[in-house]
Amino acid sequence: MSGTLDVVLRLVAVLVAFLVLPLVVGQTEHKVMAHMQGRLGPMYAGGFHGWAQLVADGVKFAQKEDVVPAGADRRVFQLAPAVSLLPYLLVLIAIPVGPNGLVGQAIDAGLFFVLAVMGVGVLGSIMAGWASANKFSLLGGLRTAAQLMAYELPMLLAAGSVAMAAGTISLPGIVQAFHWWWIPWQLIGGLVFFTAGLAELQRPPFDMPVADSEIIFGAYTEYTGLRFALFLLAEYAGIVVLCALTTVLFLGGWHGPLSGSFGWLWTLVKTALLAFVVIWLRVTYPRLREDQLQKLAWTVLIPLGLAQIALTGIVKVVIS
Amino acid sequence: MSPVPGHGLAKGLAVTLRTMTRRSVTHQYPDAAPQLPPRSRGVIGLFEENCTVCMLCARECPDWCIYIDSHKETVPPAAPGGRERSRNVLDRFAIDFSLCMYCGICIEVCPFDALFWSPEFEYAETDIRELTHERDKLREWMWTVPTPPALDPGAEEPKEIAAARKTAEKLAAAQETAAQEGTAQETEPREGDA
Amino acid sequence: MTLAAAHPGFMSPSGVEIAFALVGIATLGAALITVTTRQLVHAALWLVVALGGLAIEYLLLTAEFIAWVQVLIYVGSVVVLLLFGLMLTKAPIGRSPDADSGNGWVALTVAVAAAATLVWVVVDAFRSTWIDLGGAAQGSTKVTGAVLFRHWVLPFEALSVLLLAALVGAIVLSRRGAPARRAASAALGALSGRGASSGPGAMSERAAGSERAAVSKRKTGES
Repeated sequence: MSGTLDVVLRLVAVLVAFLVLPLVVGQTEHKVMAHMQGRLGPMYAGGFHGWAQLVADGVKFAQKEDVVPAGADRRVFQLAPAVSLLPYLLVLIAIPVGPNGLVGQAIDAGLFFVLAVMGVGVLGSIMAGWASANKFSLLGGLRTAAQLMAYELPMLLAAGSVAMAAGTISLPGIVQAFHWWWIPWQLIGGLVFFTAGLAELQRPPFDMPVADSEIIFGAYTEYTGLRFALFLLAEYAGIVVLCALTTVLFLGGWHGPLSGSFGWLWTLVKTALLAFVVIWLRVTYPRLREDQLQKLAWTVLIPLGLAQIALTGIVKVVIS
Repeated sequence: MSPVPGHGLAKGLAVTLRTMTRRSVTHQYPDAAPQLPPRSRGVIGLFEENCTVCMLCARECPDWCIYIDSHKETVPPAAPGGRERSRNVLDRFAIDFSLCMYCGICIEVCPFDALFWSPEFEYAETDIRELTHERDKLREWMWTVPTPPALDPGAEEPKEIAAARKTAEKLAAAQETAAQEGTAQETEPREGDA
Repeated sequence: MTLAAAHPGFMSPSGVEIAFALVGIATLGAALITVTTRQLVHAALWLVVALGGLAIEYLLLTAEFIAWVQVLIYVGSVVVLLLFGLMLTKAPIGRSPDADSGNGWVALTVAVAAAATLVWVVVDAFRSTWIDLGGAAQGSTKVTGAVLFRHWVLPFEALSVLLLAALVGAIVLSRRGAPARRAASAALGALSGRGASSGPGAMSERAAGSERAAVSKRKTGES
């Protein structure tokens, strides 16, 4: 009975994190982006510095009419937001927060699980792009697919490098094996992983699939109300997942001073810092062009990823 | 080209980070009143007493948003036996602020200083017809017209003040001479008395 | 492989076995819809369901590593590539009248023959052998890795050489002659929403459907 209770408790905790953390990131983005542009951002909702802005947004989205275009493929259109959101919930289950089993569910091949399921999430955007019966949506879907194919490989290479270094592909195992000198050792891999992850999430400066000045809102053009909100939520959940994964793989997860009792806090702090970087990059850089995006993936990130694997291999052989 | 690759990228990041640490430029308008410059063009006030219904403002207005109605009145002669004078009496003076483009030409052309800029700008309405401000409302805006900025210390005296001063001085001088003459006349008979 | 002499038999299935059978039926159904539906993109999406079902079957057989690789490679990449290709052809919403190739019976024969061969091989190889999944996981990452790189290194490397050959072949095909290169740039142009051809006629066409133009151009390039 206590086993069942334990599982239920863990799942509830993951669900709560899944519902709260993306909103926190979204609110932070509102405020940080505003201040980086010399503005104040939301100030009214909820009273104190607009803390409830996203709650208000959610209420607004819930009130909107749920429109399905007449020419759209109805079922695929309606299914797409769920397909794009749910994988991130599943991924959160496998991410270790602290030592001694502070994880939703330890998975033996955790690294592969996480990367595989994250790749599925992009399928939602492609479905949305095709099913909307809108040429801009279709272009967005095409770009999403092209971007996924270009960036999945460097991401896998960088993750593979860490797995080689740790000698395991279980996420808690990787963090367990972490030493501080891994950070310089895996630096290139970390950068490649983070960049490729940003591209896979379609975050600026890699947001060509939704480029609003070119193709309106890409695959999400025809969406309204709650379904649109689910896509937005998926984007922010994706940020949380990507930052948590980078933390776990490249920044040593719960390692840090006083990691015995405050390990989970270290993971959260590192994740939050990375989320800040994601927002910072969005504010700072303009969107790349589609061909620049592909060029960056194939001519820069993949060679760098391969070089990182070679480096990891050499060091691994030397120290063993 | 920058010497270090990625130099420009880092510079961009630095710019955004620096901006974040600085105070934002947002004016929290409804909560905090805006600091308007002294010659802000908010609304036009009418100083009715100065208006002679010369119609210059209405004629010069580029979008014809000033409506003036008047009639002539005959004023009885000031002195008995004099000629009757006719005088323009203002019946209606209205500015339609839904048409007004705030060019300020009416204020410039008014030869009698009957129109003034006021910095008040919060007169939005839900009905466009309400934006036609009639004479009493325009008169009310006069109370919000700020005092004109002080002249430079070495500036020439304003004409009207100069004229008023001259008149006052003349009057004073006349009174003085009159007083002197008066005393002289008073002393003379006394001397004569003596 | 652990051989257990006294296996429990098929008459009292455990929960895992029931789940295995149910998921198997669902996977088979999805696979059937994949090959019979007239809606092209739906076929690709049903393929996702079929491949995902297979991954679940692997999971139920405790082959965790294989399961996630299945999802990563097939669902995450191959199907995305497939959808990408379908979108380039501007697959219509609803039925495609020309989706039937006309040799359905041949395909059915081949499929049934292949299935029969595979089933017969598996049944003949194992007969009534009982593999206990309760003990040390046979499909865990560690075991898979050890087996792959100790006993099956040669086939593994041979496969990678095969893939390399395919890769080189693809590059050679795509670099052959100027028309092919033009087609490639046209496809890229469709991707970035710009007409790749710079003639004045392309301007009117690009709003209507640049991807269709790109595909037709590629077809002429190949012929």
